[in-house]
Amino acid sequence: KIASIAPSGSLYHRVLQEIGEAYRNSQGPRARAIVYANSLQGTEADTVRRMRVGQLDGSMLSIVGLSQIDPSVAALQFMPMMFRSWDEVDHVREQLRPELEAKLAAKGFVVLMWGEAGWVQFFTKEPITRPEEFKRTRIWAWDGHPAQVNIMKTMGFRPVALPIADILPALETGLIDTVPVAPLWSLVGQFDRVTRYMLPINWVPIVGATVFTKRRFDALAPHVQEAVMTTARAGAEKLRAHRAVQDEESIRAMRTRGLTVQTMTPEIEQAWREVASQAWPRLRGTMVPTDTFDKVRASLEAYRARTD
Amino acid sequence: MATPAAQVLKTTLAAEPGTRVGGALVSVENALLAIVFTAAVMLPLLEIALRGLFDTGIEGVSTLVRHLTLAVGMLGAAVAAREQRLLTLAVTPLLAGKHAGLARLVSSSIAAAISILLAVAALEFVAIEREAGNTLVHTLPVWVAQIPLPLGFGLIALRLVWHAADSRGAQIAAAILTLAAFLLLQHLLTSPQPATGPVLMVIGVSLLLGAPIFAVIGGAALFLLAGSGVPPAAFAVNHYGLVINPSLPAIPMFTLAGYLLAESQAPKRLIVLFHALFGRLRGGAALVTVLACTFFTSFTGASGVTILALGGLAMPLLLGSGYQQRPALGLVTAAGLPGVLLIPALPLILYAIVARVSLEEMFLGGLLPAALMLTIVAAWGVARQQRREPEEDRPEFDWSHVRTAFDSAKWELSLPVVAVLALASGLATPVEAAAVTAFYAFVITTLIHRDLGIIRDLPRVVAECGLMIGGILLILGVALSLTNYLVDAQIPDALIAWVTQTIEHRWTFLLALNILLLAAGCIMDIYTAIVVLVPLLVPLGHAFGISPVHMGIIFLANLELGYLTPPVGMNLFFA
Ligand code: NA
Ligand code: NA
Repeated sequence: KIASIAPSGSLYHRVLQEIGEAYRNSQGPRARAIVYANSLQGTEADTVRRMRVGQLDGSMLSIVGLSQIDPSVAALQFMPMMFRSWDEVDHVREQLRPELEAKLAAKGFVVLMWGEAGWVQFFTKEPITRPEEFKRTRIWAWDGHPAQVNIMKTMGFRPVALPIADILPALETGLIDTVPVAPLWSLVGQFDRVTRYMLPINWVPIVGATVFTKRRFDALAPHVQEAVMTTARAGAEKLRAHRAVQDEESIRAMRTRGLTVQTMTPEIEQAWREVASQAWPRLRGTMVPTDTFDKVRASLEAYRARTD
Repeated sequence: MATPAAQVLKTTLAAEPGTRVGGALVSVENALLAIVFTAAVMLPLLEIALRGLFDTGIEGVSTLVRHLTLAVGMLGAAVAAREQRLLTLAVTPLLAGKHAGLARLVSSSIAAAISILLAVAALEFVAIEREAGNTLVHTLPVWVAQIPLPLGFGLIALRLVWHAADSRGAQIAAAILTLAAFLLLQHLLTSPQPATGPVLMVIGVSLLLGAPIFAVIGGAALFLLAGSGVPPAAFAVNHYGLVINPSLPAIPMFTLAGYLLAESQAPKRLIVLFHALFGRLRGGAALVTVLACTFFTSFTGASGVTILALGGLAMPLLLGSGYQQRPALGLVTAAGLPGVLLIPALPLILYAIVARVSLEEMFLGGLLPAALMLTIVAAWGVARQQRREPEEDRPEFDWSHVRTAFDSAKWELSLPVVAVLALASGLATPVEAAAVTAFYAFVITTLIHRDLGIIRDLPRVVAECGLMIGGILLILGVALSLTNYLVDAQIPDALIAWVTQTIEHRWTFLLALNILLLAAGCIMDIYTAIVVLVPLLVPLGHAFGISPVHMGIIFLANLELGYLTPPVGMNLFFA
């Protein structure tokens, strides 16, 4: 039994179904594999709890869910403008992977595959671009992360912590007027009906992993483990090939509904980089464990020195 | 001249639920409930103030408030069990007769055994969460916030055994029976073949014998899940899932506002005002009753509370202006009906939560149907006037009276305005709007009018409201497991396939739905019906092209009608 908050029929759902199929084929004809898409088994945190009590065997999680298992994964998603491209994300993740997977394993979870789901962009009601302008708006913040809200406040922003389900009504009543989300979310949640402008800022990448409980994974025969892992690796490749296209497709779909994508000038980008880098020291030791934070910085610097 | 208005002014409040003093434990429990409840209301207010004044706020406030609501629910449920006011089926056919004592002993013991099972499952869940070591806010561990779950079920089990019989000997028999049933059920639950069928039959019989609904749903869900290989601790995961819903805390807060008003002199002030406005008209007394009851029901959500608060005022008014006893009684009972469709009525919010519709959409969707129902009920009321009073007996319309009455009732009247403005202005989330409303009701009743004493009345009213909310949230929580089973077994899909095959037309479906809901309203309370039926019927309605909001209006109107209708007519018992 594997769960996901991804829409049923989406690529994420299909990848999980293929993993289930691989399990069934290698385990034997009487084996059953059920994939619950569309948040049928609840939010990401819910599925983590269901795995812990033994109701589910696996779940496809973003860092939001993974950080419920171990906080060090936060290094991959919660640091604004730390990464400048997917290549950088890939590089750092590969560097950190053995350590992160060991930490997750210590908590009883096996990583089947890592995957990404697009970059977070800023969706606003007014055509604003500069950090000072954003400080005057009410920005949606994830309800499950008090620490993130605190950091935004110390940076001079006005975050309003709400559950995802409340975003659209809150936009309509004016409780919030800026939403930092990945384009797919804005498209599916129809936030762009109210927020007609998008600033292409690549704030943070949405990173995630599909995990399996160690208890169940260890109980599988070696050849079944092998089959599941092989299929998962192939699935990860499919997601990787899709991640950039998906952002483009979502944005294109919203543009036909009337979304205006604003131009990001180098000057504006520089202003945002300064704001973002001010947040990093505050994240270090709070949302991101100190050692993981330092490793990410070192790994990025080494990578940039090599590629520049 | 004894005008109805004068009579009204002489009438004292009928509603004064007896305060029971039964030992230190009872007071401690009540106080704890009141403190947790008050904290849940105060936190969002503090957040609004901090956000408005300093652009800052409380860390994780909405998470905290939702967990406090869970605690209010479990504590309230424990108090409800103590006061023997857990919700049961409205009709318990097997309870009557000379074997009533035996039926009570057996059904209570089975319910207690199930409650222990649920407590054990919750304890297991808390232990697992403790090991996982997540924090809720700051350094507060999540598992600490989950303790109300096992604690609540444990307390409920104890109370069920205690109230299973009156004599000490029979109580001991109930304790032994409970223990035996628990051991047997626990054994079955953890065995590979949980014997789901026979257990469900026993649970069904206990329902007919008068067992509380929560135990029946919880026990059924536990064994249905076990039958498909899901461990018992998953039950607690589902129940804990209550805290995920962002709108949940709005339920106790809006309801508290209604309870505060109902216990104050607000009913009297409203009746006086409406009478000053409409008393001159033919059938004016009916109009006054309908308006006041609708206003109140939109806050209390329960016609029973409305009838307790207003019945004693409206009855003399109606009898004095040419109504016979029975039609007057009927009118008082039905008069609150339209209020169920108006925010912040509890059934409306509960529906929005279970059907996952936004509160704002439900609010807008309910406005027109509520206005229509108000017109129908008022017209029916005016028409039922037996003896038409001569015009000179009716009070003269007098602006100075209206002004005085309005001046006295203006604070109560502004309450819905405050609630709706807070919701629609973007100054507050739905939960914050609910907290503002509750706080405003507190200010009106204790500080402005001083109808309620902060020490004398407030703890009692808060505990009474918590008791009622606890009973409802308990059923909502256990029903989440039933819904989880239905999803797990893909039953909604199967049901849609079957119904769309059997019923072709939308109108046939709507007719069948209306009959089903009327029937449901006859045998169970509106809250249980919403919690149990909505997860099944909303997807069905979707298949027939009926939106969840439209479905909600049909749901609430029919259930409330069924609730009023004999043979049970639960509302009639209050009048
Ligand atoms: Na439950
Ligand atoms: Na009602």
